[in-house]
Amino acid sequence: MIGMISYLAFFSTMAAIFAIAVLGLNLHWGYTGLFNGGVVAFFGAGAYGTMILGGRADATVLGGFGLPFLVALAGGVVLAGMLAWIVGLLTVRLRHDYLAISTFGVAIAFESLTRNAEWLTGGARGLRGFPRPFEAAVGNNFVYGLLFLAFVLLVLVLVYIGLERLVRSPFGRALRAIREDETAARSLGKNPTRLRLTSFVIGSMIMGVAGGLYVSFYAFVSPQDLAPILTFQIWAMLIVGGAGNNRGAILGAFLIWAAWTASGFLLARHAPVAMQIYTGSIQYILIGSVIVGMLLWRPQGLLPERLETSAGPDRTRPAGTNTTATTNKGVT
Amino acid sequence: MKNNLTSIAALAALAVTAHAGTAAADCTLPVGVVYPTSVDWGKPIAETTLWVADMINEAGGVDGCRVNAILRDTQVDPRVGVDAARALVDLDRVQLLIGAVASGVTIPILTSVAAPSGVMQISCCSSTTRLTEIAAEGGANGLFFRTFATSNVQALVAAMKAQEAGYETITILYKNDDWGQDLGSLAAAAFAGAGIEVKAQIAINDDQPSYRAEVTQALATRPEALYLALYPKEGIAVVREWISLGGTTEFIGTNSLKSDEFREAVGMQHLGNFIGTDSSTPRTGSATAFVDAYTAHFNAPPSGPGLPNAFDAAAISLLAYHAAGRDATGAQIAAKVPMVTDPAGEPIDGDVAGFARAMELLSAGQPVSYQGGTGAVTFDQYGDVSAPAVFWNFGADGAITEIQYITLEEVAAFGASIE
Repeated sequence: MIGMISYLAFFSTMAAIFAIAVLGLNLHWGYTGLFNGGVVAFFGAGAYGTMILGGRADATVLGGFGLPFLVALAGGVVLAGMLAWIVGLLTVRLRHDYLAISTFGVAIAFESLTRNAEWLTGGARGLRGFPRPFEAAVGNNFVYGLLFLAFVLLVLVLVYIGLERLVRSPFGRALRAIREDETAARSLGKNPTRLRLTSFVIGSMIMGVAGGLYVSFYAFVSPQDLAPILTFQIWAMLIVGGAGNNRGAILGAFLIWAAWTASGFLLARHAPVAMQIYTGSIQYILIGSVIVGMLLWRPQGLLPERLETSAGPDRTRPAGTNTTATTNKGVT
Repeated sequence: MKNNLTSIAALAALAVTAHAGTAAADCTLPVGVVYPTSVDWGKPIAETTLWVADMINEAGGVDGCRVNAILRDTQVDPRVGVDAARALVDLDRVQLLIGAVASGVTIPILTSVAAPSGVMQISCCSSTTRLTEIAAEGGANGLFFRTFATSNVQALVAAMKAQEAGYETITILYKNDDWGQDLGSLAAAAFAGAGIEVKAQIAINDDQPSYRAEVTQALATRPEALYLALYPKEGIAVVREWISLGGTTEFIGTNSLKSDEFREAVGMQHLGNFIGTDSSTPRTGSATAFVDAYTAHFNAPPSGPGLPNAFDAAAISLLAYHAAGRDATGAQIAAKVPMVTDPAGEPIDGDVAGFARAMELLSAGQPVSYQGGTGAVTFDQYGDVSAPAVFWNFGADGAITEIQYITLEEVAAFGASIE
C-alpha cells in the first residue's frame, strides 16, 4: 500500500512538472499562436541554471555555488527568460512553421552547448548531486516524496491561477486577437511584436520553472535530458488535452504521462515472455496511435478552448467554427 | 454435473500447483531489469540478462526462490528509465535493479531511486567517471556496482603503447559523448604522464556529412601518431579523410573500433600500424566459455557491446542476492557482493553447474570467486571494476588478433609509474 502511494506520488510529481511545462507551451501556442518547437531549450535553461546555481561544488566546472533552493530556482527561471528574450528578439517576426524550425534549431544548439561547454555544464557527463531540497530535514524518503509532490502541486496551482488571470485580462484578449488576425489587431492599435515577445518570454519562464523542479527532483541533469523527444511529449500533452484551455493542458500532461508509463508497466507485466523484449517498440506504436487518433477524431483536444462572450457565461465553441490552426487541420 | 466440473477444476488446479512446485520453488523474488530494449543494441543485453535469470532458476533459484526478472524498457530516456525503476521499487517491491546502459539514465536512477530507497543497482555498461565521483562523495550509499571497467584502463595502456613505440607527439580525436569525453581527457592525462606531448584534443560529433574541418585541424598539429576514441561509423569517415589528406598511419585506437566494418571501409593497406586497446577481453577460460555458451544458446556469437558485462552483472548480483537470503534488503545484497568476487574463494564458472555449486558454497558461508564473461571480476570501494588489458590489431588476413596481454598488475604498475 505504501509502495502504491509512494509510486503515485512519484508519478504525480513528474506529471505535475510536465503540466507546468505544458501550461507554458499553452500560453505560446494555445493563446498566442506561437509555434515553439524548442521547448527543451527553455526547460533546459531552467534546469541547468538551477543546477549551476544550487548544485554542489565541483572542481571541474565553474558552477556548484550551493545557493539556497528557491534562489537557485529563481535564477534558473530568469536564465530561461533571458534566453527567450534573446531568441524572441531574433525570431519574433517569424510565423508558424518558420518559428517552429528556428526554435527547434535553438533547442538543438542549446543541447549542443550543454554537451560541449564542459567548463560550465560538465559536458556529456552532466551535472550531478543537486542536494534535494530539504531532504535532510525530512529524513524519511516516503514522507519526502509526498512533501515534494505538495510543493510541485503548489507551484502548478500558482502557475495555473496566474495564467488564468493573465488570459482573462485585456492582455490575454489581445494575445488571442493576434493569434486570430494580426493585421486586425494592429489596426486596433495593439502592438503585436511587443505582445508576442512578452508572451514568449513569460511562457518560456514557466517552462524554466518546470526544468528547475525537474533537476531538483532527479538530482542530476545531462544533455540526455534535453533530447528532442521531450518537446514531442510536451506537444502531445497539449494536443491531447486541448490547446487554449489551461485545464486541458494539465489534463493532457497527466493523461499522456500516464499512458506513457502505464503502457510500459502493463506490457512488462502481461505481455508474453517471448514478447517482453519488444515491449518498448509496442509502446511507441501505442502512444503514436493515440496521438494520431486524437488528431483525426478530436483535434480540438479533450477540453476544447472556451470562448468568453459578453452575453453570458462561458460556452463551448462548436468545433466547426473553431479557427485555430490545429483545429482547422482536422475539420477541413 | 456442477459438482463434477468443480472437482475437475480443483484437480486441474492441484496438478498445475504440483507441476509448478517441481519446476520451480514455492516462492518468487522480483528483480528489476531496466535496459533499453527498444534500441537494437539494447535487446541482446536484456536477453542476456534474462538468460542468466533462467539459469539461476534452473540451478535452484535465489535462496530457493524463483527469480522473476521484470524487464522494463528505458527507451534511453532518463524520464522513462527513472519511472520504470521507481515502479519496480514501489510497486513490484524489488530490492535489486539491474541497469541501465546509458550513463545519462543510470545516474538519475541511482540518485533519485536506488540510493534514496536503499535498493542495490548494478549496471553492465555505464562507463562515465561521474559514477565514481558520486560514489566517492557518498551519493551511492555503497549500493552501486558496474561490470564495465572505467575508461582509465584503456587510456593507461594506450599511453603504455605510445611510450613503447617512442612517439613524442600525439593528437587525440574523441567521440563527443560522455564515453568519448571521458576517454579523451583520461588519455590526454595518461599521455602527458608518460612524457608524450598531446598536440590537440579534437571532438568528433556524430552524423556529420564530413569531418574535413576537424581532420584539417588535427593535421595542422603534425602529430607522430593519432589516438582514436571513436565508434566505427565516425571512425571510418574521419580516418578516410585523414589518410586522403596525407596524415600518418600510426594509429592507436579504442576497443570500439574492433569492427570488421571499420577494417573494410578504411582498408588493410592503411591499418598495418594500427594498434587497438581493449579492457574487456580477458585471458581466461571463463571468457571463452561465455562466448561458447552464448553462441549455443542464441545460435549466434555475442557481437554487440556489453554482453559479457551484462552477463556478469546479472550473475554476480543474483548470487549475492542468494548469499544475502530471500528477505534481504538492497544494502544487505550489496554487502554480499565481495563474497561472490573473493579472489581467495573457490573459482566458479558462469553456467548452471557453476551457479549451483556457488549457491551451495555461499549458503554454507564460503566465499567464491566468480569467473564470468569478463574474467574474475573484483570491485573497488566505489563499485568500479578494474580489468586486465589487451592490445590487438588487424592481423595479416585482416582478422582481429590479440597481440599482447597486460595483466591487472601491469596496468596498475604503469598507472602508478606515470602519476
